[in-house]
Amino acid sequence: MTQLDEPGQARPEPIRAVPVRHPGRWLAVAVLALLTAMFVHMLITNKAFQWSFIIDNAFRPPVIEGVRTTVLLTVFAMIIGIALGIVFAVMRLSSNPILRGAAWFYTWFFRAVPRLVLAILFGNMAILYQKVRFGFPFDRQLSDLLGIDINGTIFDIDARTFLSGFMAGLLALALSEGAYMAEIVRAGILSVNPGQDEAAQALGMSRVLTMRRIVLPQAMRVIVPPTGNETIAMLKDTSLVAFVPVTNELFFRLEAIGSRTFQVFPMLVAACIWYLLLTSVLLVGQYFIERYFARGTASGPAGMRLRVLGGAGGEH
Amino acid sequence: MDPSGLVVKAEQVHKQFGRLHVLKGIDLAVKPGEVTCVIGPSGSGKSTFLRCINHLEKIDGGRLWVNGHLVGYRQKGDRLYELRDREVAAQRREIGMVFQQFNLFPHMTALDNVMEAPCRVRRESRGAVRERALKLLDRVGLADKVRAYPAQLSGGQQQRVAIARALAMQPLLMLFDEPTSALDPELVGEVLDVMRQLAVDGMTMVVVTHEMGFAREVGDSLVFMDDGCVVEQGHPREVLSNPQHPRTQDFLSKVL
Repeated sequence: MTQLDEPGQARPEPIRAVPVRHPGRWLAVAVLALLTAMFVHMLITNKAFQWSFIIDNAFRPPVIEGVRTTVLLTVFAMIIGIALGIVFAVMRLSSNPILRGAAWFYTWFFRAVPRLVLAILFGNMAILYQKVRFGFPFDRQLSDLLGIDINGTIFDIDARTFLSGFMAGLLALALSEGAYMAEIVRAGILSVNPGQDEAAQALGMSRVLTMRRIVLPQAMRVIVPPTGNETIAMLKDTSLVAFVPVTNELFFRLEAIGSRTFQVFPMLVAACIWYLLLTSVLLVGQYFIERYFARGTASGPAGMRLRVLGGAGGEH
Repeated sequence: MDPSGLVVKAEQVHKQFGRLHVLKGIDLAVKPGEVTCVIGPSGSGKSTFLRCINHLEKIDGGRLWVNGHLVGYRQKGDRLYELRDREVAAQRREIGMVFQQFNLFPHMTALDNVMEAPCRVRRESRGAVRERALKLLDRVGLADKVRAYPAQLSGGQQQRVAIARALAMQPLLMLFDEPTSALDPELVGEVLDVMRQLAVDGMTMVVVTHEMGFAREVGDSLVFMDDGCVVEQGHPREVLSNPQHPRTQDFLSKVL
């Protein structure tokens, strides 16, 4: 070996070794190919699928309207949920014990009650509000507890019309999501090095500014992947609002066609296809959001890393 | 302003973490333009004292002034009133701090790290801040790294960005908390060079350090701390070459 280190020595020939063989991989490929072939064969030959019926009915205007409702519900519920999540996570980490307690109570309640129950509960709220003059529960208690008005504007609107259908479903989903997001955001904030907070404070930055400019942008790397999960879960949980009831939602519409035409199974397959399509779109969005918040870190996607390194210029 | 004209004045500063008595009555005076180096074994409370100066730690006893203003409190008669977060933040703007672990903001480029506080805290115009930030980065020898993210810089480069970031707020006092302790040996020199230049330019500095050479060469005064007390202080050359207290002698015999 020492000979190789001497200068002037010719570089040895590159190694041409026989690579390790992986017979197990080929076996796995064969088995999976066989299973896939069987499955595809079943999809095509089994008459119960009624593919032409699916294609004829899965894209009709009422279904498209259902897709629109589902997407809107998902988007709004997530926007409200994330906003609530940030507020409650910051409250949970506050030094004020009352804020901490309130945030804990909120997450406790909305994580404990199933979304289906919440949806039905909110759908039936209107019955209560004929007698009571206020908006909806917990608002008032939270307002008393925090000394601030949450959703104060709601009080002015007639509860029965406001809480019908879409709004009731949206509130049930958003409030429930807020509780889960609060825990996700809290984990994200805790993942940021305390030295970042100190550095910001030493520069004279206020707590709000530190949170907004320094801590949250770094917490996002931890927050985004589970939030992607939550968004996908939310997309599917919108089907729960059929129990509010919300009748112009995707699954309700597909099932209605199924029941009316006695073709239940094909419409269930159509539902699967729609949810697959919508989830795939969300995954693309998540990829770009993750890439954005990974800037400046070594764990960013490879393409990003190379681009950044190239732009910054090397050592030499 | 303090009639004594001191930048930092500490009188019998005490600090406790629960039962642990970290600072047991620290007295210190730093004149404008002076470089004070603080040395001592780990756990002697020197970093804690430094953090008290910009109120990252709250003191439990004694008095601490920066530029004649009590740090973290307002005095009315005999009573002390805690300052609000906003007032503490305003005090900190006058004091730059450099950390052992750099603590650069990893999601921002070097330039954005330097520009963040002047733009967001002092609300200066971006153009002016940008110009100043580029000058500062040039001054610490990183004119070609302004677009780099911290993760793409070496430790020494990161620490120099951190110094530029602190200077961008145009502080009256700079605190250094073991600025070279997390660096590879060959990178220590470049950071010390920047600090030396800063001292020559007349910046008032308090430096917690293990670099005896730097203390001897650049320091105007040297403070040796042990077990929460100032054991000995004086001119660096005298303290380092002719320590009076046995604990100082013992410490220096181990590190020199």
